[in-house]
Amino acid sequence: MRMPGDIIRLNVGGKLFVTSRTTIENAGSDSMLSAMIGENWRRDCSAASITNEFFIDRNPAYFSVLLDLLRTGELHMPAGMSEKALYREALYYGILDHVRSAKWGMLDGNMLQCTNTVRGHATGDATAIRGAQDGGCCVAHGPMVHVYDWSMEAQIALTLDYVNVNDAGFLNPERVVICTCERGDKTGGMALFNVKRGRLEHKYEVCHGGQYKNCTAGALAINDVSLFASCRGRSNEYGIGCWDQVTGKLTHFLYEGPSWPLGVACKLQWLPHSNMLMVAALYPHSDDSFISFLDMRSNNIAWSWTDAEKPAIGDEKVVMDAVAMDECSTVCVVNQFDNLGFIDTRSNNQGVRWRDHYQPGKISEAEEHSYSKLAVWGSQLFCSKNDSVYVFCTPDLDAARCVQTAKLKKSEGGDISDIAVGGERLFVLHNEENVFDVWETPGSFSTANCF
Amino acid sequence: MSTSKKKAFRIEPFKHKVEIDPKYAERTWKVLDEAICEIYNHNASGLSFEELYRNAYNMVLHKYGDKLYMGLVDTLSRHLKNMASTIEAAQGGLFLEELNRNWLEHNKALQMIRDILMYMDRTYVPNYNKTPVHELGLNLWRDYVVRYPKIKARLLDTLLDLVYRERSGEVINRGLMRNITKMLMDLGIDVYQEDFEKPFLEAASGFYKLESQEFIECCDCGDYLKKAERRLNEEIERVSHYLDPKSETKITAVVEREMIASHMNRLVEMENSGLVHMLIDDRYEDLGRMYSLFKRVSGGLGLVRDVMTSHLRETGRQLVTDPEKLKDPVEFVQRLLDEKDKYDKIITTAFINDKTFQNALNSSFEYFINLNPRSPEFISLFVDDKLRKGLKGVSEEDVETVLDKVMMLFRYLQEKDVFEKYYKQHLAKRLLSSKSVSDDAERSLIVKLKTECGYQFTSKLEGMFTDMKTSKDTMQGFNAVVSNADSSESPTLSVQVLTTGYWPTQSGAVCNLPAEILAVCEKFKTYYLSTHTGRRLTWQTNMGTADLKATFGKGQKHELNVSTYNMCILMFFNNVNSMTYKEIEQATEIPALDLKRSLQSLACVKGKNVLRKEPMSKDISEDDVFVFNDKFTSKFYKVKIGTVAAQKETEPEKQETRQKVEEDRKPQIEAAIVRIMKSRRVLDHNNIVSEVTKQLQSRFLPNPAVIKKRIESLIEREFLERDKNDRKVYRYLA
Repeated sequence: MRMPGDIIRLNVGGKLFVTSRTTIENAGSDSMLSAMIGENWRRDCSAASITNEFFIDRNPAYFSVLLDLLRTGELHMPAGMSEKALYREALYYGILDHVRSAKWGMLDGNMLQCTNTVRGHATGDATAIRGAQDGGCCVAHGPMVHVYDWSMEAQIALTLDYVNVNDAGFLNPERVVICTCERGDKTGGMALFNVKRGRLEHKYEVCHGGQYKNCTAGALAINDVSLFASCRGRSNEYGIGCWDQVTGKLTHFLYEGPSWPLGVACKLQWLPHSNMLMVAALYPHSDDSFISFLDMRSNNIAWSWTDAEKPAIGDEKVVMDAVAMDECSTVCVVNQFDNLGFIDTRSNNQGVRWRDHYQPGKISEAEEHSYSKLAVWGSQLFCSKNDSVYVFCTPDLDAARCVQTAKLKKSEGGDISDIAVGGERLFVLHNEENVFDVWETPGSFSTANCF
Repeated sequence: MSTSKKKAFRIEPFKHKVEIDPKYAERTWKVLDEAICEIYNHNASGLSFEELYRNAYNMVLHKYGDKLYMGLVDTLSRHLKNMASTIEAAQGGLFLEELNRNWLEHNKALQMIRDILMYMDRTYVPNYNKTPVHELGLNLWRDYVVRYPKIKARLLDTLLDLVYRERSGEVINRGLMRNITKMLMDLGIDVYQEDFEKPFLEAASGFYKLESQEFIECCDCGDYLKKAERRLNEEIERVSHYLDPKSETKITAVVEREMIASHMNRLVEMENSGLVHMLIDDRYEDLGRMYSLFKRVSGGLGLVRDVMTSHLRETGRQLVTDPEKLKDPVEFVQRLLDEKDKYDKIITTAFINDKTFQNALNSSFEYFINLNPRSPEFISLFVDDKLRKGLKGVSEEDVETVLDKVMMLFRYLQEKDVFEKYYKQHLAKRLLSSKSVSDDAERSLIVKLKTECGYQFTSKLEGMFTDMKTSKDTMQGFNAVVSNADSSESPTLSVQVLTTGYWPTQSGAVCNLPAEILAVCEKFKTYYLSTHTGRRLTWQTNMGTADLKATFGKGQKHELNVSTYNMCILMFFNNVNSMTYKEIEQATEIPALDLKRSLQSLACVKGKNVLRKEPMSKDISEDDVFVFNDKFTSKFYKVKIGTVAAQKETEPEKQETRQKVEEDRKPQIEAAIVRIMKSRRVLDHNNIVSEVTKQLQSRFLPNPAVIKKRIESLIEREFLERDKNDRKVYRYLA
């Protein structure tokens, strides 16, 4: 038996919608719609309690789309509807998260579509792009960081007083951490910014024996509880620092040894599977390549690889980027000829297994050749080459036997200077004009599981 | 340039929105503020959620988030201050109810306010690092109400008073208590702990300190424990009804500390009702209570165990050393078994089979059983008694239980080889006189000994059984031959052939057998040696028995069952009427001691005196004359004339057995030394002693002095040598 209170009549901007209580409750208890029909606001003996009619002073066109989303879990926008306005309405009703998760699905390299191409604001060359947990991103160029939310709305641009940005990362979608070069006065280092308000909220200090040291923060990695950054200071503060996310205080500092550079590392990656931190010091930041896994709890190097003191033969000359595929026990590297190689991390100082059919010497004739960049997502590997991104899938957790399964290409923007994965999206940053592309798996029935 | 001119050329910043009414924020906030008031005044039915939400939304949208948030803080504070004063004004017992009522109202209002300000919570709050509305409401309630000085002290006093009254037996409103403590927990676990739990524990500590003092003065141990247990359960129940579950361990720790830990020693040692008293009276319930309560306190069980052990050792020591109780071995062992049963029951029922208590029990028994060097003998005698008669008509399972109990005592013995010695003697007697009740029981015990001590321990005992069996077969064969060859009336002979070494060695004194018997014996000897070559037979006349048919003066006929010695003596009286002691001794060559015993049994036991002694007296002297008693009468046809049997060993016999045991140990110790040295080659004195002790402890505890002597003997015989540099180190010589 259907109770009379189970039918809800909504008068939105003069248009009547009739729906069921359960559909509205799909919106979640912390949404405006649920609160409106909830116990707290159920009035005795008033007209609404008999007719169950509620008036909402909003645009019915957008409400119709959103009600459909609550009913079906799918998002269908009629042509000509402003996406931005839809987001605003969703925020009003408190169901913006539903819209976001309906928009795109789980990241799968073989199903990606380019859904957005954003033109940069800065004149200079962009150096890095990083993804946020909710699908937003930030782009660094020179002393500037531009932040975009998941709807690719430009947020506040951070200008860092003419010190160069080395790396950036999201603590959460509202907080971004930026690593910069150090300058004579107490500026530089690593700091936390509020994305919405552009405010500096915390500066991460390197502190020894009660003394604050000034240093350059290089690469950055973030896990659930800590932040890691490679540091090089003026007074031998070379190594990897680790800060607590809640207190913002330095918890420990791992100094580099005499023959193993850590402070100049240009890539840090947290490995949740093995609970370790990958630190890669690569050309041109160091003369030779050094890749190691650090166990931060016992402060030692659990695994390491280097090409120092090895005869330079052919391909193996210079490693330009490295990424760890944690579950495959493999570190994937790429050299200046865009050739992929794999290092087994189950034993120390193994050689690199290069992919043969990846022919060297195909360097593009363009003057500004960008070297390949790597990114990893689960067992999928993304490698940029010239103006395209190649997707590789690894069978049976054996990275060395990976096969190329897709090629992502957009004609605009020229060579690719950086790629990043975040919030189930792939971000591709181009050399020219600071254009970046957003690739995502189209939203489909997979989004229905949030109901 | 002048300022006025500058003003004229001011460039207006480009604005998307048209300037809205400057009073807009003020006005909107006023609507919201009034709505909040209505909500607190239970007048919400006239409010439109949609309108309020839209207003709050617009304020945030138009960057008046700050104003909205600050206004909210102000309004909430104002209302909470009002609430605080109404709560404060509540009289006596109504205070808590008033507090609870206001808390519920505040919560309800807070829910609605949060609904209205949801948009602010979602956008403004995270961006400006503010506290979300709901949490803000709780924090303000904490600061303006719960921690408002006049309320804070009164609240704590009221709560503690209620708990005190409940402890004193009054019925209180638990639901209200539960709501108030729940409120404190909702405000954060630190509020609950600081504002309530800590003082609550202190009050409990004071309460129980006083109460336990009072109880211990006027109650006996059992009652005290009962009360402590009840208090403990009450507190646990209290926690389950209206406190945070995490408080349980804390409050029970307080009760444990005040009621048990600080009076532990006094309770256990309490006169006439303490632990010893409970053990003596088998008060399982009290003991169980003591166990479960003391288990909660560190060192509690240790104390109980120690007192139990020392009591057990003391009573055990008395039991095994009291000369009165040593008179009857069977009763002695039965007492040990009873003691063991008693404590086993205590440990299973009251101490829930605690391993450490079982170990304490075992070590205590081991301690005092070995205090008496005669324990092995007595245990063997107990078995003897049981197997001779005690187990007659008892079911097989009960036999097993008795044997198992004996084995348990056997395990406590350190001198297992002494037991073996006695057991062998007693078994031999049982077998030879066919006195054993049950062959199965005998064998079952042998199997038990075998599993306990290994094959070596029982191989000779088993040999004895084999001998008995083969003897039976041999006799069948012999009887067949004899009855075929010669049907004349000669004495029937029954021989048991015993293997030397299996059986306890006896002084093989030979006596002169009567000619009739000797003839049959010779026949058997020839028969036996003809079937088994290379063997030697020796007659053990001291162990045999004989059935004689005798006719007395008035023609009354009797069958006399006597020992071989007695038979030899009586046979003389077929020809003569009287003999002197000297004549008998010369004629039979029976050893003096045995002869005296035999004559005693023939002449001095009333009702069985087939001989008369002159002069009449109890003891046999060398000048006595023995006469055939013509006038012997008995109402039985069969008369059994037992030799005055050796029950317990006499002092000299005991010494002899001891000596034999010591002799037997020598080769065992030597063998152990040689075994150890053979594998180790070089070892110092202390290590040899400890290893030998370890190897032999399943049989007996060797004396270090004896081990030293054996080592010296082995050095003399060149099995070992002393190291030239270190005299304490020995070397094995292959």
